Amino acid sequence: MLKLKVNGRDYEVDAEPTATLLEVLRSKLMITGPKMGCNTGDCGACSILLNGRLVKSCLVNALSASGKEVITIEGLAEPGQLHPLQKAFYDHYASQCGFCTPGMILAAKALLDENPSPTREEVKEALSGNLCRCTGYVKILDAIMSAAQEMKGSRK
Amino acid sequence: MSNALFFKAANSKEACALLSKYGKKAKVLAGGTDLMASVNRRLLSPEVVISIGDAALNYIKANGKNLIIGATTSHTEIIRSAVVKEKAPLLAEAVRHIGSPAIRNMGTIGGNLANASPAGDAATALLALGANLKLISSRGKREVNIDKFFLGPGKTVLKSDELLQEVSIPIQDGGSKWAWYKLGKRKADICSVVSVAIALQMDKGICKKARITLGAVAPTPLLAKKAGALLEKKKPDEALIEQVAKVAAEETTPIDDVRGTAWYRRKVSEVLVKRLLKQILV
Repeated sequence: MLKLKVNGRDYEVDAEPTATLLEVLRSKLMITGPKMGCNTGDCGACSILLNGRLVKSCLVNALSASGKEVITIEGLAEPGQLHPLQKAFYDHYASQCGFCTPGMILAAKALLDENPSPTREEVKEALSGNLCRCTGYVKILDAIMSAAQEMKGSRK
Repeated sequence: MSNALFFKAANSKEACALLSKYGKKAKVLAGGTDLMASVNRRLLSPEVVISIGDAALNYIKANGKNLIIGATTSHTEIIRSAVVKEKAPLLAEAVRHIGSPAIRNMGTIGGNLANASPAGDAATALLALGANLKLISSRGKREVNIDKFFLGPGKTVLKSDELLQEVSIPIQDGGSKWAWYKLGKRKADICSVVSVAIALQMDKGICKKARITLGAVAPTPLLAKKAGALLEKKKPDEALIEQVAKVAAEETTPIDDVRGTAWYRRKVSEVLVKRLLKQILV
């Protein structure tokens, strides 16, 4: 039996010994923010935070994550509210098809949690594992730089 | 439901007991970045999965002679370690280019070795550093030098009941020079087309010891022995460096694949060895 805390809520669910955390989140818990793109760790669309660290959930063995805490895009803000990163993506038109957006935002969140004032280069490095096949990277970078400013301001 | 079994080992002793019970049927799971990718690609369907992620094999320590890194230490932890940066900067630099932040948070140094990819970046750097690997089982323990660890793509001397416990890197005293380069088709999340690691011991301008290693150009990470020997006991100049680079390229036995042709890999091996040697010696 797999015990997980996802976005603050506790779950207990069965999982196959070789199931990925992504499969469990999407198919068993119906948490569909993390997307399945490549399923081999190349695209980053399934990125989540596991115990606060950015991981690709398609490569996390579900049972090995038992007892750990997961944050997905759904858990960034209260229902009806937007996290500053989500707001900045919206304001900067940083989503085109939107498939990469949850992973991009989680990768950005992991960066800003450790480094609240990143340079543009540091943001690029932090997003290096996330592909946007609409190729809208410039607006994504703009959004994250702007969100970092915004979040720094609100901390004062 | 399948009949597969999953175990989370609480420590290395438990992992060894499980391995001696299930042997070849079992796959050891550390960070999962290789194993789960193979499962998802339907290349593997292990009957038994033994997770060692929480088996207390996550540590970095240094005694006077060696830097010791536990098998499940993640790439991120290695990059962030001040002691690795000080004692084995070549390893820190190689690991910095593995995957991407999320992959480095998950993938482990032990996994990079035990998977025995010819392109393993940490493996190629550790080969240049002459690391020793501690293998344990319920029968006992043994130490294997990395020169003798890899047998072929995906194959190592690890027996079916053995676990890679830790990596021990001899700490060089003064005079060490090093260089690393990874050539890939994308900056992140990519297998090397060719990677080169160089670790030299210099004394008053003379090269006392040279280890030149290349990734993705042979069935295992390659130690270019002839090239290294050519450099040793000499005072390197540009002509010698050109010769050493040529010999290193001759030692490679690359293949054509989606990332590059054998011809290109050999050509670029020479260029990279030359460039790195010039960078640190001229």
